[in-house]
Parts: sequence; C-alpha cells; structure tokens
Amino acid sequence: MKNVIEVKNLTKEYKKLKAVDNLTFDVYEGEILGLLGPNGSGKSTTINCILSLLNFSDGSIKIFGKEMKPNAYDLKREIGVVFQDVAIFDELSVYDNIDYFCGLYIKDKEARKSCIEDAIALVGLEDFKKFYPKQLSGGLLRRLNIACGIAHKPKLIFLDEPTVAVDPQSRNNILDGIEKLRNNGATIVYTTHYMEEVEILCDRVIILDKGKIIASGTTDELKELAKIEEKVSVEVKDLDEKYIEDIKDLDNVEDVDYSNGLLLITYKKGKNNLVELMDYLKKESIKYNKIFSERPTLNDVFLELTGKELRD
Amino acid sequence: MFIHNLKYSFKTLLKNKMLIFWTFAFPIILGTFFKMAFSNIENSEKLDIIDIAIVENDEFKNNEIFKETFKELSDDNNEEKLFDIQYVNEEEAKELLNNDEITGYLIIKDEPNIVVNTSGINETILKYVTEEITQTQSMIENVAQNKVEEKVKDIVAGKIQFTSYEEIYKQIYDEIVDMLDKNNANISNISSSNLSYTMIEFYTLIAMACLYGGILGLVAINQNLPNMSNNGKRVAMSPTPKYKVILSSVLASYIIQLIGIALLFIYTIFALKVDYGTNLPLIVLLACAGCLAGLSMGVAIASVFKTNDNLKTGIVISFTMFGCFLSGMMGITMKYIVDKNLPLVNKLNPASMITDGFYSLYYYDTLDRFYFNLISLLAFASLMIVISILSLRRQKYDNI
Repeated sequence: MKNVIEVKNLTKEYKKLKAVDNLTFDVYEGEILGLLGPNGSGKSTTINCILSLLNFSDGSIKIFGKEMKPNAYDLKREIGVVFQDVAIFDELSVYDNIDYFCGLYIKDKEARKSCIEDAIALVGLEDFKKFYPKQLSGGLLRRLNIACGIAHKPKLIFLDEPTVAVDPQSRNNILDGIEKLRNNGATIVYTTHYMEEVEILCDRVIILDKGKIIASGTTDELKELAKIEEKVSVEVKDLDEKYIEDIKDLDNVEDVDYSNGLLLITYKKGKNNLVELMDYLKKESIKYNKIFSERPTLNDVFLELTGKELRD
Repeated sequence: MFIHNLKYSFKTLLKNKMLIFWTFAFPIILGTFFKMAFSNIENSEKLDIIDIAIVENDEFKNNEIFKETFKELSDDNNEEKLFDIQYVNEEEAKELLNNDEITGYLIIKDEPNIVVNTSGINETILKYVTEEITQTQSMIENVAQNKVEEKVKDIVAGKIQFTSYEEIYKQIYDEIVDMLDKNNANISNISSSNLSYTMIEFYTLIAMACLYGGILGLVAINQNLPNMSNNGKRVAMSPTPKYKVILSSVLASYIIQLIGIALLFIYTIFALKVDYGTNLPLIVLLACAGCLAGLSMGVAIASVFKTNDNLKTGIVISFTMFGCFLSGMMGITMKYIVDKNLPLVNKLNPASMITDGFYSLYYYDTLDRFYFNLISLLAFASLMIVISILSLRRQKYDNI
C-alpha cells in the first residue's frame, strides 16, 4: 500500500511536558486511520504538527512523499482539515462560508459552485443554505464545519473530533458522510475519544496516551490484546451471595460483580460461556429479566493497557 | 484569491455589529452629543473678554510687533476684541494675578513669557496668541534681513536702480508692513468667536474615529492567524499565501474605515453644521493618514500581543481614548498641559498628531506644522507596519 503520511520519531515538548513522545506511524492511501485517546493524550497536537501549524522538537513528517512545511502550498491544496472547534464566520450564510473557504483553494467560480453543492449534499445541509450560523443547531454547525473543510475535494482529510457534542441524527449523518468520502477515494485521519465511532469507521487504529502510542492495529487486532473474551450482563433481582460464589467457579470466569440488580460476569478466553451460565441459572431456578453478551470494546483494551477509562 | 478574500472580508467586517458600532455609530453618536453639549457653552463663552496684564518694561516698549498686536486685540472698536489689558510693572502684575484679577500676564525679558496661575481655556488663548506673535516676529525679522540682503545684491548686480536710501527702505518697509497687516489679521482670527470649543472637540472626535480603525485592523489580523482564531487555522491550511489573505483583509478594513470617516464628515458638516474651514481637502488627507495610523496600530497590536480578542480590543480602545484625552477631547486644557510639560508625549501620540494637524490648518497660514503632523502620522503608521511584518513573518507556532 502507498504511504500518504509518514511520521517518524515525532516529538513535541511544552517546556518540561512531552505532549507528543517519539511517535512513528504511517497512513496508507484510501484508509481511515483512527487516532484514539482520552482528552489531552496528544491527538490534536499530533495533527497540528503534521499540518505544520505547530513547531515540533524532533522528528520528520512527509505527506505524499514530500516534506510538510508551512509554505508547501502544493501539498496544502490536497489536504482538507476539519478542526475540533467550529471554524466558520458568524457573519456569513452557510453557502457563503463554504464558498469563502473553498475559494481559497479553487479559483474558478463554476468549478467551485459544483464543489459547494456536493459538499452541502454530503453533509445534508440542502435546506439550510441561506441560514446564518446562529440559526443552526450544534449538530448542523458541526456539519457546516465539515463542509467547509472538505468542499475542495481533498485527497487527504484530517477530522479532529468532528462529532463532539452533536445530536444522534447529526452524528449518523456525519459518519455516513465520512464513509462516502472514503468511498470517493480520500484518505482520512480521524481523531476521537468515542471508541464506537472508531469501531464503525476505522480500518486501523492508533491508541494514544500521554503522547505515546500504546497500541495500534485493526480493531480486531487490538481486541486480541484484551485478556477478557466476553462480558455477560444479567438483570436479576435479589441474588444470594451463595449463587455469586457458584458463578465464580464456572469455567473461564474472570470476575463477577453484582450491584443494583445487575450481574456482570467477565470471561477469559473460551467458548459456550453464555450457554453454561444459562444452564446454571435454570438449574438453580433463578429468575432473570434480560441476559446479553458483549465482546470486549476498545475501552476495555485501553483500560487494560493504562488502568483508566478512555473518557477519563 | 485576492479579490475573493477582499469581497468576503468586506462582507464579514460590514456584518460585524461590534465593528460597525465603534467605526460608524459611536463617532456619530458622540458627535451629536458634542454638538448638543458644547454649542451652549460656546455661545456663553463667545462674549468673554480676557483680563490680562502686560509688564510695560523697556523690552515691551521697544517691541513694536507685540505692542501693536496687543493694542489691536484690546481695541474697544475691534469687533473681535479679545483682551482687556492693564499695562503695569512686574510687581503690580504679580499682585493682580495673585488677587485673581487677571488670567495671566505677559512679560518680555529675553523672550516673551506668559505667567499664569492655573490652566484653562483663557490661559490657553493667551498662550496661543503669544506664541503666534513670537512666531510672526521671528518670521518678519528673517524676512526683513533677507529683503535687505536681496536689495543690496540686486543693486550691486544692477538689477534695480539705486535711487535713494529712503526709497529702498520705503520699499522694504511697505513689504514688511503688508506682511504685518496680514499677520495681524491672522492673529485677530484667534478670537473668542473662532477659537471654538466645538471645533476642538470635533477635531479630537475625528482623531478618535481614525484611531478606532485599529479595531478593524485587529479583527482583520485575528481572523487570519492560526494562533488567534479557528478560522485562522483554516486559512493557514489553505494554499493561499498568508500575505495575500492579510493584505486583502487589511485593505478591506481600510476602505471600510474611510467610508466611516466620510460618513462622519458628511454627518457633521451637513447635519451638525460643523465648519471645518476652507482646507477640507487637506483635512481629508490628514484623516486618511490618521486612518492608516489607526489601522496599522490595530494590526500591530493584533500581531504582537498573544492574547484574546476582547483584551486586544480593550487595548486598542484604551490607547485611543487615552490618546484623545491627552490631545484635548475631554478639555482643551489637557492638550495645553501636555504640550507644556510633556511635549514628547504629544509628539508621539497619534491622536495629538491628528488634532494638532487640524489646529494648524485652522490657525496658521503656513502649512509647515500641518505637514510635520502628516509626516509624523505616516512615520507612526510605517513603524507599526514594520513591527507587524516582523511579527507576522512567523510561519509556525509553539502554541495554537
């Protein structure tokens, strides 16, 4: 696969704090790479260094095989950025905002018009073209923010937490739009602390903590890192301590927790865990409302690697 | 790209309510208040005759220009009478001043000196008149010397025919008297009817409106720098060079600022009936330079200070208002005090450069002082632009 971004030994220090610590990774053409990590883990700093907005202490960055510099205008022409904070003009309408930013890339008015219409359609803002930002909801603003960043049809797109604080409808719309961008051939670097989005969207994931890469790979590869294989939750009322002790003795059980009528059992690797548990509950005539099984999430992986939750 | 950015800079700046208020509305509102507040004061002050004393020593008696000018300005038959004068010795003058019977007194020793107890409009008028006479005297002495030398040269070269000393002296005398008459007319213009509170306030108002261009410059820079705004980050990531984007934004700001000043002039001239005198083109020229100074000041503040928008706006407004205060917006006396005690402050104060430029157009026949102020403003603007360029050359940031 062709490398679109090559980051080698990237280090960014703020006085004594290493915000980015010796990062080395590649981004391949046509993929969506997720940068996953809690707030303050160095995701945005990494992106700003790659984009040559921030000075960095050490390392090298190449985009499309060329060194990235502030005046690398030929590279910038191929890059689209959607920053974490909404970057639009309150004084301009939806259409004008997109036109203004797109116009910094595309001089020809007709070509630009077509790009703007495509961007508006991609994020579903057709009915809001003449609206001003103050008339839009948070979710619609986020969609406008994306449209401004991608209207010029870049080959490489950076999306920095584009779904923070948006309603579910807008979130789905944004995620669908990102899928479409990838299907149109764009390479995407996607930072988030929402693991669900990473699992839905990303081909590969890099997990960051305190500026360091603590794990990378596909979501399946990362989940392999988790010791637990399965989590089973059972809604059951007034469960005696005796039964809890019995469940702990079942095959592959790693841990059992019971609180507020919810029994949570985590299993080590193994098969037929759920069947065995249901057999036991039937044998002991324990009545339950719901029972469901989950695979470990990236949050579990992160928890296991760092001892803290992704959203801490 | 330049035109594209210019167009959208216009749109964003003109739709920014805060900017429109400070650039267009505030000076007009303040001008209206000035007119309402000061026209009454002016009417009541117009008839005031200032009581002064002159120490009638040998130096004064031998100084024809001072003697004649003050005689003219205290003549009861003069419609523009400015002073009631008591001719006394120095001791009596001091006593009169201590008893508050006079505003101040003039004493000529090596140089003419004005002695006053306090600062106020009357003291300022006395000072201006004395300065004007001194300046004129110096000019006449120079002219007389030059004319004598000229005549001698012409006679030696045979350009004019020597008739008699009397004839030559008469020619020189007539030319100088002519000049003296003109100068007396000039001095008599500085009468209570023309030294208008309202005019001074309107000069400072225009200075303030010019310097408020700083807010426009500040916004133009902030919205294009990645360490200042989110929009700046987006602009920085585009393939359009930073200098193009910034230049077009600053140009849009300057044009908007000029429109604001034009509206202020139109409103004050036609609605408030302010008379800016006969030198309107030069006044407009000075206002254009003032706008450039204000705009470049805002650009420099935006470029140098790495802090939030509100604080920067506060810095621009504070600097402007303080500059206008020192140049006499809240009372002409302040300008006199600063001119007298801290002359360098007003030489470096762009608001004072603008107001002083307007004063000089109004009060003096020569344009030397006007051009000095005009050049000072352009030098101030150039300095601000150099500071901005040095600061804006940076391409990457430690923090954004």
